[in-house]
Amino acid sequence: MNGERLLWVDSWWSALGGDAPLPGPVAAVLALSLAFLFVVLPSAYWISLLHRKFAADLQARVGPNRAGPGGLGQPLADFLKLIQKEGRQKRSRAERIWMGVHTFALFSTLAVLPLGTMALLVDTEISVFIPFWSLLVLALGAMWIGLSRPSVPGWFGGIRAGAQTLTGAFPALLCVLTAGMRADGFSWSALAGSQGANLLSWGLWGQPPFQLIAFGVFLFSGLILLGAEPFDAAVSKGDIQGGVGANLEGRDLAMFSLGRFYGFFFWSVMTVVIFLGAWNLPRGFSDWLREQHLERLLAFLELSVLLAKTWLLMLGVVWFARSNPRVRADQVTELSWRVLGPLALGALLGATLWSAGGWGL
Amino acid sequence: MLEVLKTDLTRWVIGPYHPLLPGAMRLHLDLDGEVITEAQVETGYTHRGLEKALEFQAWRALLPYMDRLDPESAVFGELVLCLAVEQLGGITPPPRARAIRVVLSELSRIASHLLYAQRVAKCVGADTAASYIGRDREKILDLFELLTGARFSLHFLRYGGVAADITEGFLERVLEVCELLRYRIKEYNDVFTFNRAFTERARGVAGLELVRCRALGISGPAARASGSGEDLRKQLPYSDYEKLDFDIPSGASGSSDVLDRFLMHFREIEQSMRILRQLSEHMPSGPFRDAQISASFQPPKGESFARVESPRGFLGCHLVSDGERAPARVQLRTPSSFLLGAIPELLRGARVEDASLILASLDLSLAEADR
Repeated sequence: MNGERLLWVDSWWSALGGDAPLPGPVAAVLALSLAFLFVVLPSAYWISLLHRKFAADLQARVGPNRAGPGGLGQPLADFLKLIQKEGRQKRSRAERIWMGVHTFALFSTLAVLPLGTMALLVDTEISVFIPFWSLLVLALGAMWIGLSRPSVPGWFGGIRAGAQTLTGAFPALLCVLTAGMRADGFSWSALAGSQGANLLSWGLWGQPPFQLIAFGVFLFSGLILLGAEPFDAAVSKGDIQGGVGANLEGRDLAMFSLGRFYGFFFWSVMTVVIFLGAWNLPRGFSDWLREQHLERLLAFLELSVLLAKTWLLMLGVVWFARSNPRVRADQVTELSWRVLGPLALGALLGATLWSAGGWGL
Repeated sequence: MLEVLKTDLTRWVIGPYHPLLPGAMRLHLDLDGEVITEAQVETGYTHRGLEKALEFQAWRALLPYMDRLDPESAVFGELVLCLAVEQLGGITPPPRARAIRVVLSELSRIASHLLYAQRVAKCVGADTAASYIGRDREKILDLFELLTGARFSLHFLRYGGVAADITEGFLERVLEVCELLRYRIKEYNDVFTFNRAFTERARGVAGLELVRCRALGISGPAARASGSGEDLRKQLPYSDYEKLDFDIPSGASGSSDVLDRFLMHFREIEQSMRILRQLSEHMPSGPFRDAQISASFQPPKGESFARVESPRGFLGCHLVSDGERAPARVQLRTPSSFLLGAIPELLRGARVEDASLILASLDLSLAEADR
């Protein structure tokens, strides 16, 4: 844990009237809980609602309009409905422990969720690689859920989830390496610091056209890795009737959906931080806020910028998913191996030569 | 280890009620990984004994039953029965009645083809295209409601004509819908038909050769996509189709895949719109039914066979009358029954995730196949 970076928790703590500074572990747990409660869950709520409204608008439908004013309460109504229902399948003690460990492993990556210069809990030289752990846990979990289903669709879904993860992770990692070439490091602060608030100073325009290629590949390979629409052959309702989640319902389905959302959200945050200007405010403005000791306002504005970009990116993905038919599982893996992989390799090679030749200087 | 990683074939039995299927049927699949090595179809789950039931009904009461032959294109069941009864009784409906029947038939064909396109789009997760198509199909159902008061089971045709004359403004609305569909089809093409993700999934999948169509007795869009060029509206015209200017689209390669069959439906919609435009602009005047035919009409003793080109192909009706209040025998020839025969060979070698797409591409109606 980076003690200095916990300033934002201390700052809020003192603002709330706390006299003594919080002990490090308490501050860390508090930070993680706050990030989950005030960033991840509200994002899940709003993205779920906006997704449905936006998709309905695209499809000339009304969309949710019953729960709450203008349908605003629909995600809450769905969540409450699901958590009141028990799953059909009774779990053994060993299964419950495994599910607990899996859930913990998935959400443990909250520690590296980058939310701004003032809200970086863990910012090591390999920070950017740590979320892959979460995504692989998610994919592995989806695979095992599928394989343990007493149905053929679940089994196919499990196999597809595993295959897609392997094929998606390879180009995605190459793209992270490419971005690291530009930023000269793999910490969140290095990646974010190598970009500016101005659109033209975003990472994707660096070392043209290699970073742009890396951005595109990173985005698509992430969707493949996560099995997001339209690369959702592992969980699709159309061709294998539910796939991995075929027999999930009630609380299990709620947790499964939240886990998938978390993966998608984290991936979008990563994309924004690596390629889309991160949380950067105009440099003079952020310096002035620091000089005025307005850290809390700075943290809030950075978080707002980051979330605005992330949500827009997620809605862009929704638009893409709703405009395109589902891609077959074998076509997804083929796209990954034959197109995204070579493109990512090319981008990495180009960025390496660029950095070695000093053209970027 | 080998015992854990079993590599033998998997058997997957789907149905009788499953969203992957076009209706109530059971599919027995043998799978090698995700590739289907063998497929068997089991039908009969929606068998209602329709042909037998018709033998117990008075002649006049047969029409609502025929509406249920294929609920997605109800008017063709009515039409084929009317033609068979009229043939038996030597009745010729007035020109206006024949024209109204054609208008209803072609609107029904478009509605059925749009539903087909919607089903195919849903199979590949193209919900947006499916939603657009469903929205526009509603316009045609509105027209049915305007003319007949019903949206699905129309019960509008009568022996010797139709139940009522066309309502004021109906033909203008038909023209409006044709105009709307003209540019909406372009929209479907932009959103879905020529989307590479769809063409990659549909091209080269489940090839159906013309030779096999002939051997299996397949007719309609599936056969025409393979190059048959056969359509009863041209071959054995009925209801004055011979007076109308339209073409029969046909594939050129002698074989059709999922994409060819899908495109064929849109090409047919365009021809149906041509027919509708002609009839809307030149609707014959005169009575809408033969006033001589009373409600208690009973055809004389004899036998007849009528055929119409339904949205799925050759729909036939064989009637036997012994001069009594109910038909002595009714036999129906439904196009979907013959399409079922192609399923095992089309699924063999395909990937399991394409199964629903392949089935949807055939445009099956289990209701008419089981009858």
